Amino acid sequence: MSVNSSGGGPCGACKFLRRRCVTGCVFAPYFDSEQGAANFAAVHKVFGASNVSKLLLHVPIHKRLDAVVTICYEAQARLRDPVYGCVSHIFALQQQVVNLQAELSYLQAHLATLELPIPSPPPPPPILVTPPPVSIADLPSASSMPTTFDLSTLFDPLVQPPWTMQQRQMDIGQFRSPPDNPASSGGGDLQALARELLHRQRSMVGSGSATSTDGSPKRDFT
Amino acid sequence: MISTRCAACKYLRKRCDTDCIFSPYFPSNDPLKFACVHKIFGASNVGKMLKQLPVHHRAEAANSLCFEAQSRIQDPVYGCTGIISLLQQQIYNAQKQLAIARAEIALNAHQAHLQGGSQFQQIEASSSFNNVAAEPLHVDQSFFDPPWLF
Repeated sequence: MSVNSSGGGPCGACKFLRRRCVTGCVFAPYFDSEQGAANFAAVHKVFGASNVSKLLLHVPIHKRLDAVVTICYEAQARLRDPVYGCVSHIFALQQQVVNLQAELSYLQAHLATLELPIPSPPPPPPILVTPPPVSIADLPSASSMPTTFDLSTLFDPLVQPPWTMQQRQMDIGQFRSPPDNPASSGGGDLQALARELLHRQRSMVGSGSATSTDGSPKRDFT
Repeated sequence: MISTRCAACKYLRKRCDTDCIFSPYFPSNDPLKFACVHKIFGASNVGKMLKQLPVHHRAEAANSLCFEAQSRIQDPVYGCTGIISLLQQQIYNAQKQLAIARAEIALNAHQAHLQGGSQFQQIEASSSFNNVAAEPLHVDQSFFDPPWLF
C-alpha cells in the first residue's frame, strides 16, 4: 500500500469502485492509483466501502493511517482464513503466552528449591500440564488496550529477541486452526505492506505533509 | 405472540425464512452480536462469507467475526491488532523472565559444582595427612649401630 501523494487521477479506491474521485475523498490519502486498488479490493470485499468510509470519518485524521493499515491487515487475514481471520493469530499468540507462563512458573519454583539452605531432593522431571485450549471467550478485549501502538513491529511474526534461548514452536492444531499458521508466517506481504505505508507516511511527515501518524514508538518491542 | 425471527432478521426488519443463513448463529436472545457485525462488516458481507463456508465452520466464523467487530468498535483505530500487539508484548516479557530464570538456575548449578569440588579436595588432603601420621616410622636398626663404633 502506498500513500497517494500526487493529485492526479483517481485514487485506488475510486478506481476500484469506478467512480469519480472527488476532492477530499476519504480514501485518497491511503490508496494510491497503482497498488491501492488491489489493497482496496480486499477491504471492500470484507468490510465494504461504505462501512470503511464511515469508520475512517469517525477516526481523527492523524490516526487514519494506522486505522487503514489495520483494516487492510484484517481484511487480508480474513481472505486468507475465511473462518478465523486474524483471530487465529491471536489464538496462537495467546496459547504461546500461556505456555511461556507455565514454563516460567515451573522454572521459578525450581529456582526457589535450589536457593533453599537445607538440601532438598532433586526436582521431579518437568511435567508441564497441557493448558486448556483457548476459546474466543478467553481472549482479551480491546477496551482495555492502550490507544497507540508502534505498527512497525506489529506485523513481525513472533519477533524473537536476540537473547532468546530457544524458538517457541506453536501447535495450534487443537484450536481447529487452518493449515496456514499466520502466527509463524505472519504474511510477508502484509508486513511489507505495513512497512511501506509507514515508511512513506513518515517520509511525508518529515517533509511537512498534512497527513501524519503517531510515529513515536509507544511500545518498544525489541 | 412469540417472535421466531433471528436477531439478524429482527434487526433488518425482514421475515426470517427457514433457511436463513444467520439464524443458527445470531439467536434472537443476543441482538448485540449481530448489531456489532452489521456495523463493521455489513449484513450482506457477513451473509456472503458464511455462505462460502462449509456448514460445520460457520459457527466459528460467526464468532470470530463478532469478536473482530467488537474489537473494532471498542478500538476503531487498531481493532484486533491492538490485542495482537499486547500479546506480543506479553510474550516478550515472559521470554525475558524465562531467560533470567534459566541463567539463575545455571549459575546456581555452577556454584553447587564448585562447592562440591572444593569440599572433595579438602577431604583428600585431610585423609593423606592422617595416613602419614598413622603409619609408624620405620627406622633402620643399623642406624643405631654406626659402623664407626666398636
